[in-house]
Amino acid sequence: MSNKAARNLFIFGSLFFFAIFLAMTYDTLGKLDKRAPEITEEVDAGKKVWHKYDCIGCHTIFGNGSYFAPELAKITEKKPKGYLKKFLMDPKAVNPGASMPKFGITADEADKLLAFLDWSSKVDTNGWPPKPILASAAGVGGVELTQGQRIYQSLGCSGCHMINGIGGTTGPDLTKVGSRRDKAWLKGHFKDPDEFVKGSAMPKVEAPEADIEQLTDYMLTLK
Amino acid sequence: MTIKHESQKIAEYFYTFAVVLFLVQVLVGVIAAAQFIWPGFFVLNFNIIRSLHINALVVWLLVGFMGATYYVVPEESETDLWGLPLAKLQFWATVGTIAAVVLGYIWMGFNPQANSPVMGINPLNEGREYIEAPRWADILIVISVLTFLFINFMTMMKTKKWTGIQGVLLGGLTFLALMYLPGLFYTKSMVKDQFWWWWVVHLWVEGAWEIIAGALLAFMLMKVVGARREVVEKWMYIEVGFVMFTGILGTGHHYYWIGTPGYWLWVGGIFSSLEPLPLLFMVWDAFRTTRGARNVTNKAGLFYSVAHAIFNFVGAGLWGVIHTLPQVNKWTHGTQITTAHGHLAFYGAYVLLVLSMIYITLPALRGVKEFNTSRAYRSFWWMTISMVFIVLTITGAGMVQTYMERLMGLDYVTVKATYNLWFWILRVIFGVGFFYGVLIFVVDFFKLGREPMAAVNAVPEEA
Repeated sequence: MSNKAARNLFIFGSLFFFAIFLAMTYDTLGKLDKRAPEITEEVDAGKKVWHKYDCIGCHTIFGNGSYFAPELAKITEKKPKGYLKKFLMDPKAVNPGASMPKFGITADEADKLLAFLDWSSKVDTNGWPPKPILASAAGVGGVELTQGQRIYQSLGCSGCHMINGIGGTTGPDLTKVGSRRDKAWLKGHFKDPDEFVKGSAMPKVEAPEADIEQLTDYMLTLK
Repeated sequence: MTIKHESQKIAEYFYTFAVVLFLVQVLVGVIAAAQFIWPGFFVLNFNIIRSLHINALVVWLLVGFMGATYYVVPEESETDLWGLPLAKLQFWATVGTIAAVVLGYIWMGFNPQANSPVMGINPLNEGREYIEAPRWADILIVISVLTFLFINFMTMMKTKKWTGIQGVLLGGLTFLALMYLPGLFYTKSMVKDQFWWWWVVHLWVEGAWEIIAGALLAFMLMKVVGARREVVEKWMYIEVGFVMFTGILGTGHHYYWIGTPGYWLWVGGIFSSLEPLPLLFMVWDAFRTTRGARNVTNKAGLFYSVAHAIFNFVGAGLWGVIHTLPQVNKWTHGTQITTAHGHLAFYGAYVLLVLSMIYITLPALRGVKEFNTSRAYRSFWWMTISMVFIVLTITGAGMVQTYMERLMGLDYVTVKATYNLWFWILRVIFGVGFFYGVLIFVVDFFKLGREPMAAVNAVPEEA
C-alpha cells in the first residue's frame, strides 16, 4: 500500500464511520424522550441542584460518576422519600455512620432533587441495574418472593429450567418466557405439556388449580 | 544535539507546567485513596479532591500535548514558530485560567453555597465529571486551544511542508477541539446530558487523543532510532485509521444503560471489542521499528516510548475489553472495575506518552546530547510497578464488589467499608510508591542536562 492510499484510508474511512455515528445519533435523539417520563419544571430544577452540589463528585447516576458512594438513578425505588429528604438535609443526623457531609441542602432543594431522582428511576435503561441473581433466587436482601416464585421453587422447576442465569439447562430457558407465551398456552401446557409440545419430556404439573394459576402469573412476569 | 529553531524552546514552558500539575494530580490522588478508608481524612471532601485529581490529569496531558506540538511543528516545517509572543501569551493565559479554576474548586470545598447559580450558571463547578470547569473557564479554554491551533497552522503555512506526522497531529488536535463543544450546553434530560458528555470524554480518549498518540509515536520512532519517514508514516496512517474505525462506533459501549435504545448493545459490543487491535498493532510497530536499531543515543527516550506502546495496549486495550461486552458490563458497569481500567489506560496511553516526549525532546531543548539516565529508569520502575499494583488492587475490589453487591445483593456501603477495606489500604501504600516515582521524575525534569556528566561519560571510554 502506498502512503497516499494509507492516508486516504484513514481520512475517508474515519469520515465514513463518523457519518454512521451521526446517523445513529440522529435516530437515538428522536427516541430518548419516549424512553423516559416527561421532564417537569421541578425535575429540571432538581437536575440543577444535582449539578450545584457536584453530586457526581462522589456518586454515580446510570453507572457514570465517581464510584465513591452509592448509585442513585433508582434510589427512590429502594428507600422511602421521607428518609431520603431528611438524609439529604443532614446525613449524620439520620445515620451517624454516614460518610456524606452536610452541604446545606434546603428542604426545597431536597424536594426538587428527589423529583429529579424519581424521574431517573423511571428511565428505560435496558434493564440496568440487573436484580442481584442470588438474592432474587433466595428471596433475601429486600427481595421478597412472590407466591408464584415460591411454587416454582417448591416444585423444583429450576432443576431443569433457568431464570436469569440460575437453574438447569435441560429444559428451555424461562428468563423471557412471558414475552413468548400467553396465559392460555402456559396454563394448558402445565396441565399437559405433550399436547402443546409434541414429544415433550416435561412431566404434567400435579398441583392445585390455584397454584397453577399463580405459577402462570409468575411466568407472565418474565419478560 | 540542540534544537534547530530557537522558538521550539516554548515547549519547555508547557512541559514545566505539565510536570507541576502531574505532581499535584498524584498528591491529591493519594489523599483521595486515603479517603476511601477515612472519608474525613482531609479538610476538603472527596468530591473536591477527585475533581482536582481528574482535572489536573486532563489539563496536564493537554498542556503536555501542546508543548510536544510546539516542538514537533517547527521541526517538521523546518522553520521558526509563527507568532512566538502570541504563544507565550497563550501559555500564561492558560496558566491563569487553570489557577483560577483550581481556586474556585477549593473555595467551593469550604463553602458549597458559593456555587449557587449566577444568571443560571454555576460559577465555580459545573457538576459534570471531567468537565467540572465552569462555563466562563470553558470559553477561555476554547480560546486558548484555538489560539494554539492557529499558531501551529500559520507555522505550517510558512513553508507548506505537509508532512504526514504534522498533518495527523494537527488533525487530531482539531478533532479534540471540536469534541469539546458537545460538552458546552445544558440539557434538561440527564440521559441527553450523558449522551453528549460521552462525545467529549470517549471521543477524546479513544479518538482524538489516540490520533495524537499515533502521530507522536511516529515522530519519536523517527527521532530516536532514525526510522525512515515513509515507512513510519504509512504505519501511522493505518494505526490511527483503525483507531477511528473501531473507536467512533465503540462509543456505543457507553450507551448500554443510560436510557438509550437497545441497538447500541450490538454496535458498542462489536466495535469496542475490536478497539484493542490497533493498539496491539502499535506495540508490534514499536518493536519492529526498534528491534534492529543500533547506536541509539537516547536510550531512556526509546525505553519510555516502547513502554508507552505496551501499556497503552494493556491498560486501554486489555483492561477495557474485559468488561466491554454488554453481557459482562451489565454486572460490572459503575463498579471499581471501571476505575481500574481508567487508571491503567491513562497511565499507559497518555502519561507515558507525554513523559516519553519529554525524555526525547528535553535534552535538545537543554542543549545536551547525553544525560544521566539513572533517575529516568528509577522513576519508571517506581511508577510502573506501583501503578500495576494499584490497578490490581482496584481490579480485586471491583471483582469483590461485582460479586457481592451486584450478584449477591449486598449493600454498596457494606461491601465498600468492610469487604474491600484491605484493597483500599494496599492502594494507599502503592499510591505512595507511585508518588515517590513521580518525585524522582520531577527532580530529573529540573536537573536533566544541568549537571556535570563526567562520571557517566567516563565509563564507556575506559571499558
